[in-house]
Amino acid sequence: MTAQRPTALIAEDEPLLRESLEQQLSLVWPALAVVARARNGREAIDQFDEHHPDVCFLDVHMPGVTGIEAARHIGHRAHLVFVTAYDQYAVQAFAQGVLDYLVKPVDATRLAQTVARLQERLRTAMSAVNTEVLLQELAATLERQSAAAPLRWIRASVGQTVTLIPVQDVDFLRAEEKYTLVMWHEAGGNVREAIIRTPLKELAAQLDATQFAQVHRSVIVNLSSIARVVRGSNETANVHLKGRLEVLPVSRSYLHLFHQM
Amino acid sequence: MLTHDALAQRIGPPALLGWPRVRVALLASFVFALFLRPNFVLPFYVVLSRAMVVGFAALLAFGLFERWPARLPRWFARWVLQVLAIVLAVPLGAYLAYWLTTGGHPQLGAVSGRLQGYVELTFSGILFASWIVVGALVRQRDAFAREQETAFALERSELERRALDARFRLLQAQVEPHFLFNTLANVQALVEVGAPQAAKVLKSLIAYLRAAVPRLHETVTTLDQELELVRAYLELMHIRMPDRLMFEIRVDATLLKLQCPPMTVLTLVENAVRHGIDPSETGGIIVIELRLESSRCLASVTNTGVGLKMTGRGLGTGLASLRERLQLAFGAEAQLVLSEVVPHGLRAEVSFPARKTQP
Repeated sequence: MTAQRPTALIAEDEPLLRESLEQQLSLVWPALAVVARARNGREAIDQFDEHHPDVCFLDVHMPGVTGIEAARHIGHRAHLVFVTAYDQYAVQAFAQGVLDYLVKPVDATRLAQTVARLQERLRTAMSAVNTEVLLQELAATLERQSAAAPLRWIRASVGQTVTLIPVQDVDFLRAEEKYTLVMWHEAGGNVREAIIRTPLKELAAQLDATQFAQVHRSVIVNLSSIARVVRGSNETANVHLKGRLEVLPVSRSYLHLFHQM
Repeated sequence: MLTHDALAQRIGPPALLGWPRVRVALLASFVFALFLRPNFVLPFYVVLSRAMVVGFAALLAFGLFERWPARLPRWFARWVLQVLAIVLAVPLGAYLAYWLTTGGHPQLGAVSGRLQGYVELTFSGILFASWIVVGALVRQRDAFAREQETAFALERSELERRALDARFRLLQAQVEPHFLFNTLANVQALVEVGAPQAAKVLKSLIAYLRAAVPRLHETVTTLDQELELVRAYLELMHIRMPDRLMFEIRVDATLLKLQCPPMTVLTLVENAVRHGIDPSETGGIIVIELRLESSRCLASVTNTGVGLKMTGRGLGTGLASLRERLQLAFGAEAQLVLSEVVPHGLRAEVSFPARKTQP
């Protein structure tokens, strides 16, 4: 136990909230010295490595590196308090774990309770309760939130500009050697095409499986663009599209898709 | 409007030998037999069975040509075909009736009175059946009209449901607790330190909320109102990220009274903040430009934030629902085009027909 003042880092991307938290802390915990302030996760990591504060207040949502990612870098080396605005998933995750958290706008009573707990831990020289497993789960939850949705836009160079094609306007995709041919229609019905570098296989994994179906080794079709499926002899079929002349082959191994149609 | 034939195909003709039809045929045959009775010396059951055979022959002909051939030339009405079929079916049916009731030896020419009976049965049968057919066709026409009305009503209600859905999603998208609580936290921070800015922020928040909430019930607002909302939103976001967010609004004043579906420009701006500026450590500038081009209104929002990640994941709920709203409001006449900005950033542009608001 040293007589030194406890130190803290505040990482928060919104300057007003950063200053406000520092102000509130100075009232409930006058002994605490805020030695570092960060505007994003990357700065938080740098500042932590430089100052080694006892306590870190980390905003969960920050540009670039998030508060959770910064927390994983800090690990057991400091007591952590997460700060988040209303965010169902994060708050649920925090409430289940043993991690400390504050909800914005920060309530003074709640802050006082958190501070009391931190002071107790510092006094008894208890080690930080941050567990890597918990943080990993949290990071995964946040990642899922932002990445779980299926692909909505396909980037394609059309002339000089890079255009984003809404996937629901795509009629079909065809693999052409290293490239993928994107056949789509505009809202007005004009048919368009574009070539992209992303391989078909990579796109297939990201597309919404309820909207798109692979009908051939090299063809993925938008189910809502299908006008009709015509069965041929010898276990084959052709897909005819709405408002398009192209006829797509269905290979034998994908024929089961249309058994009900 | 669907044509009678097309609708008949869509909902399908009634069952060929459904009970309602058989009942009508039985009843008609019975009446027909009563009508014929005084002219025949034969027992009533023979007359009745002959009438019934003719009746069913007519019914089959009517039903058969109701569904076959599936398509007729435009100039050839189906009811004409059906009447012709009955005119042919009745003599054949009458012959069959004689054949059946005479044990396979109709001998129309040989037995006295038989030919006269056959002719009588045929002609009165044709007359009788024709009236019934006309009655049936009129009734069917009414039924089709009702059916058609129901089909249109269904279609209309489906469209209304989709419009309602879109508005409902708008409502859900609008009440963004993360935005609201973060902004309130800023207001609280300003109030606590007694900053004079507090009143201004609160004013912007109120303007934003007031502008946002009643719009859910309106289907059309003006660009003027839309811009007011956009300004309030951007001012709030500027307070929250003063070092990272810059913005510029370029607008032709003549456009301000034009119609704009609610939240159109705002959705683009929110999207630019959320997916362009907010995730960027250094932030960027948002440029909003409104202009008129060959009687179309063009609204573009360009930001120099992070742009899109490789696959463009994460971006979209707001834009996808905007696309849907535009489609419901303008059909194929509205467009939303996204393109990338070099070296990083995103440009979103909507265009829709320029219309003045009703005075």
